Amino acid sequence: MPIVQIEEVTKTYGKHTAVSNLSLSVPTGSMYGFIGPNGSGKTTTIRMILRIIHPDSGSIEVLGNRSAAAANDELGYLPEERGLYKKLTVRRMLMYYATLKGMSTKPAAIEVSNWLERFELGEWSTKKIETLSKGMSQKVQFIASVIAKPKLLILDEPFSGLDPVNRETIRSSILELRQQGTTVIFSTHDMGVAEKMCDFVFMIFQGEKVLDGPLESIKAQNGADSVHLRWNGSREDLHSIGEIQKVIDLGAYQEIQIKGDAQRVLRQLVDKGSVQLFEIAQPSLNEIFLRIAGPAAKGSAATTSEFAGVTS
Amino acid sequence: MKKILVVASNEYLIAVTSKAFLIGVIMMPVFMGGAIGVQYLTRDQVDLTTRKIAIVDETGRLFASLAQAADARNKNGIYSNDQEGEARQQSAAKFELQQVQLGEDNGKRIDVPLTKRVKNGELFAFAIIDPDVFDPNSGGVVRYHSQTPSYQALSNWLQKAINLEIKRARIDELGLSPESVAALSSQTALQQFGLVETTAGGDVIEAKEENRILTFALPFGGIMLMFMMIMTIAPAMLNNVLEEKMQKISEFLISSITPFQLMMGKLIGTVGIGLTLSTIYLGAAIGLAHYFDISDSIPFSLYAWFVFYLFAALVIFGSIFSAIGAACSEIKDAQSLMTPVIMLVVIPVMCMGPVLDSPTSLFAKAVSLFPPATPMLMFARIAIPPGPAAWEIVLGTLLTIAFAIGCVWAAGKVFRIGILSQGQAPTMAKLAQWIISK
Repeated sequence: MPIVQIEEVTKTYGKHTAVSNLSLSVPTGSMYGFIGPNGSGKTTTIRMILRIIHPDSGSIEVLGNRSAAAANDELGYLPEERGLYKKLTVRRMLMYYATLKGMSTKPAAIEVSNWLERFELGEWSTKKIETLSKGMSQKVQFIASVIAKPKLLILDEPFSGLDPVNRETIRSSILELRQQGTTVIFSTHDMGVAEKMCDFVFMIFQGEKVLDGPLESIKAQNGADSVHLRWNGSREDLHSIGEIQKVIDLGAYQEIQIKGDAQRVLRQLVDKGSVQLFEIAQPSLNEIFLRIAGPAAKGSAATTSEFAGVTS
Repeated sequence: MKKILVVASNEYLIAVTSKAFLIGVIMMPVFMGGAIGVQYLTRDQVDLTTRKIAIVDETGRLFASLAQAADARNKNGIYSNDQEGEARQQSAAKFELQQVQLGEDNGKRIDVPLTKRVKNGELFAFAIIDPDVFDPNSGGVVRYHSQTPSYQALSNWLQKAINLEIKRARIDELGLSPESVAALSSQTALQQFGLVETTAGGDVIEAKEENRILTFALPFGGIMLMFMMIMTIAPAMLNNVLEEKMQKISEFLISSITPFQLMMGKLIGTVGIGLTLSTIYLGAAIGLAHYFDISDSIPFSLYAWFVFYLFAALVIFGSIFSAIGAACSEIKDAQSLMTPVIMLVVIPVMCMGPVLDSPTSLFAKAVSLFPPATPMLMFARIAIPPGPAAWEIVLGTLLTIAFAIGCVWAAGKVFRIGILSQGQAPTMAKLAQWIISK
């Protein structure tokens, strides 16, 4: 049963359509990555799931409820733009957020202590937020979003601005919550993180869904045309081969996108130079992202049907 | 409701446990008392420079008496205590009169050289008394010239002294004895009372003598206290909402509660702070009333009306200010939207004079039924015996409640949209659009 069910939702701001006719189904227990360029509609979609804003048309069901109040206590949210009460102590602020989520005082106090100890913030519990470092504040903000043991956790850019140590602390906490049954939706610009952590990926571009489905399936559907190549020929020689659509120089090797028969391309390359590596590979999520939203794609009026991987 | 109370208790506890609140509780009466104290202490801080005035007495009969009256005043009328010698404390300037004869000017205008003397500081003023001032039908006047018209003490004294002498001269002309004059001039005291009351059994309860200070101090003090509470607490709510918005806390909060719940929680917390403050001050007022033995003159219902109207005012202005805070992204934007609201708060204070002077006038009735002004002005009218008619109180209360509900409803609509909006502040037209939007 999906934990989030979005049906034909549209949201406009004046003349600008932020999200257009979007349908999406997030399975319970999944780790769902929301990707897309800045301003593509990710945050609008997240805010509609949270009922912070309402769609102009269409319907959204969260945890089987259509009303905002019914699901609020079972949702955790880490907004992209972090904000904490600077004048409150760490403990008092977390207690406030926990009780806002419907927790009673005693269990909330226990949870707050546990999370602070786990994130090595125990001795800071009586300190004011304004005395914390940026990394500590981000950890406190993360605790605030998970303190009430949400069934659905929505994280908007959870790793931005974190150093590697704190990034790992939060990453392992997210994975642990997921193991305990929490469904996680997170938006990110870091394709590497999305690729490592997510089972499902949803990509929105210019307000429209352009990718949606299991990560492996998306990669498989986009994967037959990508080749890792190392050879001694010139770039002009590569472009002279008609089947080669795009060349990305990655230093140690080049990633080329081909259209047509790979064996024929290989033969042409051998004719023009010495080939050390020719490996047919699945494209990275980053590559898929760039194909859809990169400079070459912009202005080409991409539509849903042009991209492999849209499953609905 | 539980979440509203969580927000309300958080707002309330943060405020009342802060140092700023404790300082504010102490400082408000300190400031009020300080203002009165400063006035009391500076009441004797007057310029004691002797004021020299030239008198051109064209009657030839008045100067001697005026000089005598000035001497008497300088000896006994300008001291604030009754002691003798050096222990006496001078509290007003001496007046020194100089006679100027018309003949000294050799027929030229007398006012030209006297003006020169005033300008070079030799004189403070000069006065020319027409020759026919003793004749009531002549239209004769005294012309007083000064370059400091704001200083009224000398002109007032001179007018009084001249008229006394003229009156005395006219009585002399009638040939009345001093005793007869005293008898004719004696005044009767006027005592002010409230109204008598009749009980159901027909017994008449005597009217109480009016305490003039109390009948003025209660409504005036009530209005000022309410005004200060509104101006202290309601704008703080704007800052609070705006700060949460600027620090990006709002989005996190409204993922847990609806914007309306958030606003209501803040409003209840804010009203709670106001009521706590009023309890402290009213407690102190009741204590003082007992101390000065005037507690019987203040009906308990007046305290209840004060609390009710303060509550209504805080709901009205708190919701408006919170909506402004939610609609704006910067304090300077909020300030421009605040100006008309501040005007609404100030209206009752501006209308206070005529309402206290004539609480049953049409103006007082009309302005006290204007909902934003009702809390302060209807309270003031209730505080002045016998108070407004019952229908006026009922109508005023119902209008206030309806207006408060309307303000909360409209503020909720603005808050819901404004709390997530960024960028330029909305115009009044845009705010109206938000209010009527679904």
